[in-house]
Amino acid sequence: MRTNLSIAELLKEWKSDAVMKERIVHWHTVPEKPASLADFPADLHESIVSALKKRGITKLYSHQRDAYELARANQSFTAITPTASGKSYCYHLPVLQSIIENPASRALYLFPTKALAQDQKSDLHELIEQMDQSILSYTFDGDTAPAIRTKVRKAGHIVLTNPDMLHSGILPHHTKWVSLFENLKYIVIDELHTYKGVFGSHVAHVIRRLKRICAYYGSNPIFICTSATISNPKELAESLTNETHQLISKNGAPAGIKNFIFYNPPIVHPTFGIRRSAILEVRDLAKRLYKENIQTIVFAKSRVRVEMLVTYLKELSKKKIQDESIRGYRGGYLPSERREIEKGLRNGTIQTVVSTNALELGVDIGQLQACIMTGYPGNIASAWQQAGRAGRRQDEALIIYVAQSTALDQYIVNNPGYLLGQSPEEARIHPENLIILMDHLKCASFELPFSMTDQYGEFEIQELLAYLEDEGILVRTSDKWHWMSDRFPAHEISLRSASQENVVIIDQTVPAATKVLGEMDRYSSMTLLHEEAIYLHQGIQFQVEKLDWEEKKAFVREVDVDYFTDANLAVELKVMSEDKVIEFEQASIYYGDVSILAMATIFKKIRFDSHDNIGSGPIQLPPEELHTSSSWISFNRPKTWTDSMLSDAMTGTATSIGLFVPLFVQCDRRDIHVVAQVKSTHSELPTFYVYDSYPGGIGISERVYEVWPTLLEHVYQHVNNCPCDQGCPACIGAQEASIGMKDDVLNLLAYLQLQ
Amino acid sequence: MSFEKNLLQMKKLIKKKPAKETSLASFVMPNPPAYLETWKNAGLEVIENQFGLVFMKKTVYSPQFFHGSFKLSDVFHAFELWNQLEEEHPISTNGQNVVFFDTETTGLKGTGTYIFLSGQLVFKNSQFELTQHLMADPSHETAFLYETGLWKPNQTVITYNGKSFDWPQLETRWTLNRTYLPKLSVPHHIDLLHGSRRVWKGDLTQFKLTSIEVEKLGFKRIGDIPGYLAPIIYLDAVKNGDPHALLKVLHHNEWDILSLLTLFIHSSKLLLEESYTETALTSTNIGKWFADLKMYEKSQDQFDQITSTYEKEEASMAFYYIGFNYKRFNRKEDAYQSFKNALLHLPLRFKINAYEELAKIDEHLFKRFDQAIIYTHEALKLIEAIPELTDTKKIKLKNAFEKRLNRLLKKVK
Repeated sequence: MRTNLSIAELLKEWKSDAVMKERIVHWHTVPEKPASLADFPADLHESIVSALKKRGITKLYSHQRDAYELARANQSFTAITPTASGKSYCYHLPVLQSIIENPASRALYLFPTKALAQDQKSDLHELIEQMDQSILSYTFDGDTAPAIRTKVRKAGHIVLTNPDMLHSGILPHHTKWVSLFENLKYIVIDELHTYKGVFGSHVAHVIRRLKRICAYYGSNPIFICTSATISNPKELAESLTNETHQLISKNGAPAGIKNFIFYNPPIVHPTFGIRRSAILEVRDLAKRLYKENIQTIVFAKSRVRVEMLVTYLKELSKKKIQDESIRGYRGGYLPSERREIEKGLRNGTIQTVVSTNALELGVDIGQLQACIMTGYPGNIASAWQQAGRAGRRQDEALIIYVAQSTALDQYIVNNPGYLLGQSPEEARIHPENLIILMDHLKCASFELPFSMTDQYGEFEIQELLAYLEDEGILVRTSDKWHWMSDRFPAHEISLRSASQENVVIIDQTVPAATKVLGEMDRYSSMTLLHEEAIYLHQGIQFQVEKLDWEEKKAFVREVDVDYFTDANLAVELKVMSEDKVIEFEQASIYYGDVSILAMATIFKKIRFDSHDNIGSGPIQLPPEELHTSSSWISFNRPKTWTDSMLSDAMTGTATSIGLFVPLFVQCDRRDIHVVAQVKSTHSELPTFYVYDSYPGGIGISERVYEVWPTLLEHVYQHVNNCPCDQGCPACIGAQEASIGMKDDVLNLLAYLQLQ
Repeated sequence: MSFEKNLLQMKKLIKKKPAKETSLASFVMPNPPAYLETWKNAGLEVIENQFGLVFMKKTVYSPQFFHGSFKLSDVFHAFELWNQLEEEHPISTNGQNVVFFDTETTGLKGTGTYIFLSGQLVFKNSQFELTQHLMADPSHETAFLYETGLWKPNQTVITYNGKSFDWPQLETRWTLNRTYLPKLSVPHHIDLLHGSRRVWKGDLTQFKLTSIEVEKLGFKRIGDIPGYLAPIIYLDAVKNGDPHALLKVLHHNEWDILSLLTLFIHSSKLLLEESYTETALTSTNIGKWFADLKMYEKSQDQFDQITSTYEKEEASMAFYYIGFNYKRFNRKEDAYQSFKNALLHLPLRFKINAYEELAKIDEHLFKRFDQAIIYTHEALKLIEAIPELTDTKKIKLKNAFEKRLNRLLKKVK
């Protein structure tokens, strides 16, 4: 009988295997890192010490100790906490200590989702039980039974909730929470890096409102934030909380050797640059690890892929009876099922777990030996969180990144330094967005009247309040602005949506059981949810049967077709104001406000593998107007280029710029749009515009303004390195026939390199 | 007295002062609203207290005044009825410091919703007196809340839906003004909405006060504004200064409170006066309510009256509940008879319980297993015929009766 190979032995074998050698684009090894430990703080209460000892903890990691000291010194701070570094002790210890010292003291924990709060509550309960102290902690969310709500409000020492609940369920009813707000000592914000973009900007305002209520009741809480690795945690925390933060960046948790493998599936269709499906490669790799008895977690992007992989892999164990060694794990599992999987992983009955990104967010299932990522999860922070799942204590860990054929994936696999090097990724928020600001100013006015001299957070608001008075929402008396409307503003404002009015997507596959699949902002839905569009949701194809533009509803039905749809958006873009400019030799870059009039015109049906155009149709929707911020680059027309040459090259270039912006500014693909104009109405020069999809702007194009030179350099390199002949979806977009287009794009990009 | 001693005495005075001063000093007297005179001319009185201005309207009624079918002074009879009752009941009063209370607000919930009108009806100086306080504008809220006197201890407050709406809203406003106001005490609170739901369950479909007025209190409003317009009218009046529509809100509030009083009279008499009845259904509801409150004697009185007054058809629910009362006091044979009397006209979902009880008594007391089997069969036949039962409930019932049946069948052998 053969013996199982260890990770080290397996790697040795792969290094000498010709096939593997070709597919593995890059090897990287991160050396072992010993733990940096610290003693328990001298004043740490004996009940906490004994609870920690019951858990087998006799010393703290250095960052946990640092966190304790800062919190105790009433200093707000942010700690960078990779997976499995014991981040929850960074806040539990000072919070529990303060409650033991003063039972009137209160703490509020904020988690981005309800599920995470509930998960953390069970862990906290267990810790408190081990301490043998009477400290009350509760989750407060939509599921909290009315009968215990009063108890939570009056007696809960630690309240675990989410920003949405704080926004619409707690702050507008603050008089019911007097004992919390009068004694609020700590506010914990876990998973800080998730508060970015529109959502983060909304939450920044919810926190400003929270601080305003605290000040009213006489408390001045300290913020404790924990974050995955991003490049600007301190900046993000400070702009989210409007408070100075100390940064704990040195992590004391130990780590074993980590082997990173960048794996690119072989090309099966050279003309279109199409590679073998990543999912099949992942299946084969996972099978190998399973056979070697190496405990593995596989990440896939959608539920469907998770199910597919589980089905593939289960063939390995189908001859065993009642075998549980391969399990799927996706969102929506019950806590009990989750515990069962955790237990199985600990005692070894589970060999391989296939998971969606649900696991990436703080849910703790312990550590495994290997991790396989199917594609790039979209940002570095998530990639590191997934990678962090591999590496049990000081053991050697294996992380395999399997690239898909998308632009981002191909860029990552060919530029491992991007993922492994210093993270250039930032999480940005933009509380200055006037629309978001006004929304929350209404909520704040509802909660407590502003006086004629008040500020709101860092904002001067008297003129804005006067505007709300004109709108008939506020009434000014001798010294205050009073809410005078029968509306409840928090219900009209959703923290999660990208614009105020979203299109709701309704699945009517089963007529008796229609269900809401999700929502999409109005602007994007013009090109993605028009009638007959193929809409992809978690890997499943749906066809839009009816788009009710008045009621903002799209009715879809599940289909199985071999094409996707691509809609043309005619965009009329006008520059409203030019706020910043930098001039280069042959080009200038700008930042400012733009007005966009967009109208969807026609859509094409494009076959999956051949990219043939197999049909088209008109789209009948009214034009949409959007005022937002934008950054644009205008350049002198390269001599000898004809209009049509330039136009084609600019279209291809715009596609590749659009693909790359999310890499440089952590944002979603849908948060920005790129438009090319051969002769701009503004300057008569050829111009590329990058603008924020959200009314008022969300800070992305402002960031793009700063990174144009690097951005263009990377776009050039990527298109240049792309193995396709004539352009493919991974670089300049699928091309029908225009031979030589890729070269034109490269020439244009070369011309645009800014010095 | 020595100089030093004098000084020490002064010191004591100084120490006390800052605490008082800070709370008073930080209160800034608000300016009177621009429309002060206009509202005065519209017939509203102006009161000034240490926190600002409040508008007020007083209306008095003679004890002989009729609102709908009821004379206001009948309320004393209602108080008398409650005084005679020994047990505590959710709507019992001691007749002392009773205030009929209702508010109008600028919204439905949250700290941005103000109470702008408080109406209180009391008996004073041998007449009924309605005092309506109207908030001059939101900056005069402290003055308004203080003037209502709702903070005064030992009051009995009678409201309609006040337990979940008016009073929590008042507490919210109080918390926001707590620096200046005396503490809000917890009154004895009677919410007539709860009582109405019990008494007219299955009879009324809507429990809006205006529909109870029409159905039960003999009163129909003419020229009333709908309640949901009240917020907009006040907001408009504050913004534009025109009190015209606001006076209609005051009238609306006046009707609400008068009906509150007559509703109290009507419900009290229904509950406690033997000869005062409506229908078999209401009486049965009342008897059931007494039973749930463990006031079995009162409950039995109600049911007995129904069975002696009404035809069997209408009295079947009463027989059914009497059965349970007897069972409670271990008078099984009487219970058996009651359930049997109930059977004929009982709604199906109750009938199934009656069969169960009959089967139990036959099995355990009379040892008439054959008879018990018949009842069990009847019950089993019924299960599928009851549309309101959920599938899980049906399965549960089926299992229970089948278990009983099997046991009985064994006993027969």
